[in-house]
Amino acid sequence: MSKPIQKLVDNLPTNNLTVSMLRSLDFVIPGQWQNVTGFENTIRVVTGETDEGLIQQIGERAIYLYNDRSQGYQRAMWLYQTVDSTDVALGTAALANKIGERVPLLGFLNRLTPKADKAQTIDLSLKLVAELVAFCYINGIPGDSIGDFVASLADYSSESLMRMVALVCVDGLIPLGPDFILKAQSVLNDTNPKELEKNATFQRISDVIPGVTSLNKLLFIGESFDSVKGWMSGLVSSRNLTPQKVVNNLQQTIEVADDKLDYLAAFLDVATNYYEHTGTQTLARRLIERAVAEI
Amino acid sequence: MIFPNARRILVAFLLSMLLFVTACQPQASSRFDQVQETSSQQKSGQAVANATQGSSFNPFFPAASRGYERVYTQEKKGFAEAKLKKDGKDLALMAISDTRSLPTAAAKFKNTTKQIVGYPAVEIGNTQTAVLVADRYQVKVLSRDASFTASDREALLKQFDYQGLAKLQ
Repeated sequence: MSKPIQKLVDNLPTNNLTVSMLRSLDFVIPGQWQNVTGFENTIRVVTGETDEGLIQQIGERAIYLYNDRSQGYQRAMWLYQTVDSTDVALGTAALANKIGERVPLLGFLNRLTPKADKAQTIDLSLKLVAELVAFCYINGIPGDSIGDFVASLADYSSESLMRMVALVCVDGLIPLGPDFILKAQSVLNDTNPKELEKNATFQRISDVIPGVTSLNKLLFIGESFDSVKGWMSGLVSSRNLTPQKVVNNLQQTIEVADDKLDYLAAFLDVATNYYEHTGTQTLARRLIERAVAEI
Repeated sequence: MIFPNARRILVAFLLSMLLFVTACQPQASSRFDQVQETSSQQKSGQAVANATQGSSFNPFFPAASRGYERVYTQEKKGFAEAKLKKDGKDLALMAISDTRSLPTAAAKFKNTTKQIVGYPAVEIGNTQTAVLVADRYQVKVLSRDASFTASDREALLKQFDYQGLAKLQ
């Protein structure tokens, strides 16, 4: 049995490396994301209600909805967690999380290997597909509705928008460079189903990616990437985003040398879980919005 | 870096202390423990019994007009929801739900004297106004911006297609 939703939201950290990283990306979408934590607090923030009796009713309904597996919320949560699961065995990284202070990167370098462009591209596009599928689970839209998802990206706000911004910055611009969209697309075109099957994240989430064979799934991944690239390049150009700009802002949190960007990407991969963090917030918000409308 | 082993031991020691200390803390009971237990006794189907599909509610929402935008957001069994937006800002949420999934939602209309377009209506909390149609479907408008007042909610509630909704089985 997975963890109760109220515990997941209660346990969201108020300050760790993930939170600091997301805060340092605030310059992309100023004031959009607040780190809302705690189940009851989230109910108050999302609904604007203050009556304790109402908060109790909303919370109870949200918990009922989450625990009913036919509603798809648990699957969405699982996706956010799985796509982000990182090697937390790095004891020092765990301690760094606890402390939430500036982290000098140098100490980690000898334990990390930057991912190859292909692995990084697969990682980026799998996160994108996970977002799409989770969106469909949460909002009740059929699982292969790329069109519905792309249309609603324009309406993304708060933690959902921050998740996509972090995806573009941390899994796109930093590891793959300023032309990451073109690069990722050409790498994807050059990837065969066998290579995809070797990817650990794909092995875990392949069941929820539309398509019967690995080839079908690979084509769906390519199609999803293709549909979202317009949105991503719009974000990059409208905010004038460059790897350098992102790193300059991240340097408030992490001390890193400019020629070590590949290592920075690898470090953020192991030491942060922004997908799970903001995914939990998105899910809680949608559950609470439904619960308050139903009671 | 002079005593790598000593540092490793220190990290291991600190981590095990962390585990030890957190394990000893008693778990505080929460106001949601009871509902967590009852709601997780069944794996599936406990939240939405015999309800109408959310997609069949969509045609009864008010159409967008005069600079207002309507964005559908959730569509689940027994539930559909849309946002009312203007100039990119969320003003309100509109929702239709089937109270077969949650009979207590219908019960709150029993003693109300308020009516909107002839249907029993209630105001709830600071942000919500609701109508019950055909003793079954709840239509709710929830303010999401301070500028959207109770009378705005009532005006918006008058624009739903209740006759169509009442005929839904």
